Amino acid sequence: MASLIHCPHCGVRPKEEFSIRGDASLIRPDPEASDEAWNDYVHIRSNPRGRYREHWQHVAGCRRWLVVERDTFTHEVFAVTDAASSAREAGR
Amino acid sequence: MSRTYISRHPLDDLLPLEPGIRAVDHLDVPRSSAIVSVMAMDGEEASVTAGLAASGDVSIRFTGPGEWLAVSQSETPESLHRNLSLLLAETAYFVDQSDGRVVFRLSGPNVRRILAKGIATDLHPAIFEVGTSSNVLCGHISINLARTGENEFELIVMRSFAIALFDDLKVMGREFDLSAGFSVRG
Repeated sequence: MASLIHCPHCGVRPKEEFSIRGDASLIRPDPEASDEAWNDYVHIRSNPRGRYREHWQHVAGCRRWLVVERDTFTHEVFAVTDAASSAREAGR
Repeated sequence: MSRTYISRHPLDDLLPLEPGIRAVDHLDVPRSSAIVSVMAMDGEEASVTAGLAASGDVSIRFTGPGEWLAVSQSETPESLHRNLSLLLAETAYFVDQSDGRVVFRLSGPNVRRILAKGIATDLHPAIFEVGTSSNVLCGHISINLARTGENEFELIVMRSFAIALFDDLKVMGREFDLSAGFSVRG
């Protein structure tokens, strides 16, 4: 597990200050989408060995949701952005 | 039915009423402080930052983007809330936190070594400069930490965690004979 996270609002912080929600690359399907699409969205997760985008919440700090891009094998952290700004970039 | 409410500090039973012998490293607990949480309206973050900077005798603590705690030892909670509401009526929301938070003031030459036992954030004087403030984790308790002087830090914690944090701070400071008492200033 990556042990130091560079929060864009608070600076370098230990991972204990964060709570991890999981995959940040999923896109919520249309309400009318098939049961299979919804099942995939709610239950099915990949468990990659390597680069992974996750939602982390800085619960003990600024309490903002962040998108952390990290490597699950080498523990390297590539990027940490505020989830609101990365959603805006993705046009959501 | 009418009730009489009594204002009680959570550490009333744990700290001596009279100030005792003060060690070089001391934990000062103000009996009451005016604390107001400030949240900027959408897109008004810059104007609220500027407005708070001009608010005079009030100390501003950063808690998150667009969110602050305004702390004052001289004003009453009511007047602090009223003054800020008048100053920034159209740009921010205010909630009085004076009864919901407890302030600890930790000072002395070993203050960083004491805090390092609970806080993993870098508190080197050149990194965490005077006036800096941030929410950090102290042990298992989330607090707002501010550097208020050369070797002086203020910790603001939720009232219900005050006793637990006080116990933690006593253990963290035992090596340095940390003394504790209510603030003489009030």
